[in-house]
Amino acid sequence: MTDFTDSGHVNIKDIHWLMDMLQTIDVGLIVLDRDYHVMVWNSFMENHSGVGPAQIKDKSLFESFPDIPEQWFKQKSESVVLLKSSTFTVWEQRPYLFKFKNYRPITGSAEFMYQNITLIPLLSADNEVKHIGVLIYDVTDIAVNKVKLQEANVKLESLSMTDHLTQLNNRGAWEGYLNQEYSRSKRSGHVSSVVMFDIDHFKKVNDTYGHQAGDEVIRRTSAILTETLRISDVAGRYGGEEFGVILPDTSGENALIFTERLRKRIESEIVEYEDYKINYTISLGISELKPDCESYLDWLEQSDKALYFCKEAGRNQSKVFISG
Amino acid sequence: MTTQVLICDDSSFARKQMARALPANWDIELNYAEHGIEALDLIRQGKGEVLFLDLNMPVMDGYQTLEGIRSEDLPTMTIVVSGDIQPEAMQRVKGLGALEFIKKPVDGNTIGQILASYGISFENEEAAPAQLTSKTFDNADYDLDDSYQELANVAMGRAADLLARLLNTFVIMPIPNVKHLEISELEMAMAHVKSDDSISAVCQGFIGSGVAGEALLIFNESSYSDIAELMKYEGEINEAAQLELLMDISSVLCSACLNGIANQLDINFSLGHPMVIGQHIHFDEILKGAASQWSKLLTIEMGYKIENKNINCDLLLLITEDSIDALNERVSYLLE
Repeated sequence: MTDFTDSGHVNIKDIHWLMDMLQTIDVGLIVLDRDYHVMVWNSFMENHSGVGPAQIKDKSLFESFPDIPEQWFKQKSESVVLLKSSTFTVWEQRPYLFKFKNYRPITGSAEFMYQNITLIPLLSADNEVKHIGVLIYDVTDIAVNKVKLQEANVKLESLSMTDHLTQLNNRGAWEGYLNQEYSRSKRSGHVSSVVMFDIDHFKKVNDTYGHQAGDEVIRRTSAILTETLRISDVAGRYGGEEFGVILPDTSGENALIFTERLRKRIESEIVEYEDYKINYTISLGISELKPDCESYLDWLEQSDKALYFCKEAGRNQSKVFISG
Repeated sequence: MTTQVLICDDSSFARKQMARALPANWDIELNYAEHGIEALDLIRQGKGEVLFLDLNMPVMDGYQTLEGIRSEDLPTMTIVVSGDIQPEAMQRVKGLGALEFIKKPVDGNTIGQILASYGISFENEEAAPAQLTSKTFDNADYDLDDSYQELANVAMGRAADLLARLLNTFVIMPIPNVKHLEISELEMAMAHVKSDDSISAVCQGFIGSGVAGEALLIFNESSYSDIAELMKYEGEINEAAQLELLMDISSVLCSACLNGIANQLDINFSLGHPMVIGQHIHFDEILKGAASQWSKLLTIEMGYKIENKNINCDLLLLITEDSIDALNERVSYLLE
């Protein structure tokens, strides 16, 4: 950091143009004394705040700008003085110190100027910190771009249909298909079934072999599921270790053939992860769409109940929901 | 009468610096040790009437060495020479029987004054700097990595001192780790940061006199609750609070360490504004935006720990390959 108090190499007549530079630079420059009275206030500060150097000279910063978070600012400044070391804050912490208008009030989308702040200890001749330098950088464009990028990423994620781990449909996409199938079956009167299944004692797999082993089990299960599906069936990862399958034009009885085939394949599967050989099972609940279902959620809930009965009955099995 | 002087420091560069700082007209025989066990051995043989002792060393550190001297009641005058300049470090070594505490890097005047204050006179008329031709220390070029390590050791001591004052506690200083890597190898080199550890990272660029790089602070997020407690931070430690703490710590550590390096090398670095690379991220995400994964780096890793607290943070200095020549030239001045 250039120390302008060290004017040993600067002629008096040069100070004029040096000051001119400091005035014109597009960065806010403030010097405060230890009581937070303003000593220096450059043009950037004057033009953006509407307060001139003559008005604010020797006045308290906090009285002139009551919006400044006094305690926060003092805490940062005191550590600068104590440690004789600069402190930096970024707009993510606090969007601004001074609420200034966006430099581009018309074409810019931000309502205010985002600011990064640097606090610098200014040493006097006796090596004590008697003043604090404050630098205010306009980072509006960077901040706006970053915020927009984050928003776009969130949107992309919600628009995405695929579950990262398994490459199956994610829950949102799968429920969408289930809703469509529900409406189609209701309208056409075709029989359709939905299956919910999960991995038995999955928590134990995670606890015993670690989460990465757990992920591998989920990936293997999805792969076997995909191999077992018919072309018109739609599978999705519903939650952690929970999966859903839509079986269009399939009765509960025929669905049971599908679930038993899947169950047996998984039962005989051994997942190898590092030095472990993991053997596991699944439980599956089936619901055939019946006229008493009033929404796709009712339909789904019935398959969930059937799954629950499997768990109660000792796991590693599949059951069709029977109403009543 | 020839005095037996022993310099105990793990860094050959630091030993050389220390040897050069001794008064040229002091009639001595100079001996060297790389750690406490060697030092104790030499003292027992009468080869360490005056001992210049570093604190941070592998095998046996300076504190343990002082304890050993005391428990065996060995005849030596110990002057601790350390990069760790925390007030508590000074108190601890004085409590363990050290006569004086000198901050690294050492300078001849300070050493001369201290020796004189203990009534040691330098009357050897043959002013040849005998210590530099001593049998255990040849004039072979020092190891460059060793000099970077020593440079970092002193800088990190200053940063630790500030951190200790900020947190009002004692900071444990390990030995800096110097490596030459490609960016893509960095993750492997950071063995103690587990790939699934949740971390926060801040980086700050620096440049000056042909030396450029970045200081990268890696903060293990399991440390936040203890840091908040030390900084007397009230209220919930949510994301915003974590960011405040992170910026406070990184401001202190990065600027103090970079200033420490700059001061020793007589450089004025320009520092960029720190940038938060991310919160709740994994280590591999830090460098994925790097322009070239294959560019070579000089890396100096400094791990900070706080006594009795679960606080872990690493400060990495990443220096670009094209800075090395300028850096080496500056380092060579340190021995003149």
